[in-house]
Amino acid sequence: MSLRWSDLWRDVAQTALRLVPWPTEPGLRSVGDPGPESPVVVTGNYDLTVRRLVRALRGVDAWIVVAASGGINVWCAASGGHLTTHQVVAALKTCGVEERVRHRRAVLPQLAATGVIGRDVSRRCGWKVRFGPARADDLPEYFANRDQKTDAMRRVRFGVVERLEMACTWAAPTAFLLAAAAAPFRPGWSIPLAGGATALSVALFLGYDRIPAPRRTLFAAGAAILAAVCVTLAGGGAPALATGVAAGLVLAAVLTYDYSGTTPIEGGSHFEERRWRIVLDPERCDGVFSCWEVCPEACFEKRQDPRRVEIAYHERCVRCGACVVQCPKDALSFNDADGRRIEPDVIRRFKLNLLGKRVVASPQGKQGQEEAGTR
Amino acid sequence: MSSLALMRWLESAPDRYDAGMRLLTLGRLSRVHRAAAEAACAEPGARVLEIGCGTGALTERLVRAGARVTALDHSAEMLERARTRLGERAAGVEWLERSASEIDALPDASYDVAVASLCLSDMGASERAFVLRALAAVVRPGGAVVIADEVVPNGGLRRAVHALVRVPQAALGWLLAGAVSSPLRDPAAELRQAGLRVQSERRWLGGTLALVVAEVPA
Ligand code: SF4
Ligand code: SF4
Repeated sequence: MSLRWSDLWRDVAQTALRLVPWPTEPGLRSVGDPGPESPVVVTGNYDLTVRRLVRALRGVDAWIVVAASGGINVWCAASGGHLTTHQVVAALKTCGVEERVRHRRAVLPQLAATGVIGRDVSRRCGWKVRFGPARADDLPEYFANRDQKTDAMRRVRFGVVERLEMACTWAAPTAFLLAAAAAPFRPGWSIPLAGGATALSVALFLGYDRIPAPRRTLFAAGAAILAAVCVTLAGGGAPALATGVAAGLVLAAVLTYDYSGTTPIEGGSHFEERRWRIVLDPERCDGVFSCWEVCPEACFEKRQDPRRVEIAYHERCVRCGACVVQCPKDALSFNDADGRRIEPDVIRRFKLNLLGKRVVASPQGKQGQEEAGTR
Repeated sequence: MSSLALMRWLESAPDRYDAGMRLLTLGRLSRVHRAAAEAACAEPGARVLEIGCGTGALTERLVRAGARVTALDHSAEMLERARTRLGERAAGVEWLERSASEIDALPDASYDVAVASLCLSDMGASERAFVLRALAAVVRPGGAVVIADEVVPNGGLRRAVHALVRVPQAALGWLLAGAVSSPLRDPAAELRQAGLRVQSERRWLGGTLALVVAEVPA
């Protein structure tokens, strides 16, 4: 299948508008000429994801089961409660794949592990699920390897291509907002402002790891200076001033945003819950290595005698929660900034593994909130 | 790729859901729910199965109307919200944390009525067909299936207007309620496909909200 124009423009539009859901019809698709023994791959119904998966599987005969993830990409949907055990069970049961294949084995994207509990899927509908590679592009090799993942397949990458994509995602809405804010009063500004926002995004993401900490303060200072410059440049008159302030605010928003949340390389610092620390209770760990299998940052190392894992690279953890959700022994949990334990079950039930809702749902969290409220 | 902005929105969605849906439907949703509860609770003490109960807006009406309700939703968070909304009455409801696609595990013909509000439009076509067939099986012969949902309006002009407002409306729906739904083209036809006998169809809000009542043939 060659890349068609319609595909190309959708790729561009969807990369730029990645923050907006773009649903495609859930259900069963096929690539190549699959039969009753062909592999079954499950994914979410984000249009870009599905089309990329189809492209990645070129040359393979496989069934694709598209689950209704609210038109959101796999990682966001799984962490946000839109791609969970339920959606996977619903898709496998109702899409008609059960009549097409003799086996009951499905491969899920590894990044779905923050939301989908593999053993619950098999308990509820009899399908055995495995978490495949983090990236769809690795699937052909994964199948050729007899469903074995290499270490590289487990890791989320943040190379130049991913960085540029992320930059586009940020540049498109900010450039548009800036241009629109300037257009009524200073039309001449629109294009330079949009261009500036784009350049800024690209620079920000390409050089992300090279911007020294504390980034937040740095960004805030930069934003304040830029806002001041905008207001000054806007000169006299209320409309011009309004434009300047609007442009300044957008820039401030762009610059002070906690980008670490959009990068897979760092847990950020803006939000309380992002300081959670992953902890292991070695007593409970029995060395099934589900955590090791799904961690996108390779934080774990396997140990023998006794057989268990060790959190060898704490600093890499992005608090995605995948390991906590998958551990059958509840040996892993998060500790919040004050050292309180957030139970694995709270994380499983309330999803959003990166964020704070669950803290509210946990008893300690409630207390914490109340204390915060009375302070 | 994980995106915090998106997650922030998604996270707060259940909070905004009710208010967002009210705004989006210009308050018509409560009328649809009232009509749905009336249709479902024609006889007191009816055994009603509600799939996708969400925050419990319709559940509450059903319980008040005297139904014995089994409410299911796949989201623990939504169920918790629904329970909170019903307060003391929550104890009389059987809450199940399950997706609609699992109702085929419930015993056949064990309910008088099944209702689904704004739930089918979250599903793909194959899931919807499966769920409607399963509903037809768990409701006793002569019982009713009541569907309230977003629909694509009939008629050329209305359709054209709908298509025009659809994109901004979908964007608004997502921002306000964290929902991406695809309005049903023809719910009555889908009910017939599932072997049900359609008895009535009413529409609100320029034909974009529908209430369809169907009977399970004896
Ligand atoms: S999944 Fe849990 S029990 Fe298994 S190795 Fe990891 S921490 Fe230990
Ligand atoms: S160790 Fe951290 S990065 Fe790895 S799976 Fe667990 S939460 Fe995610």
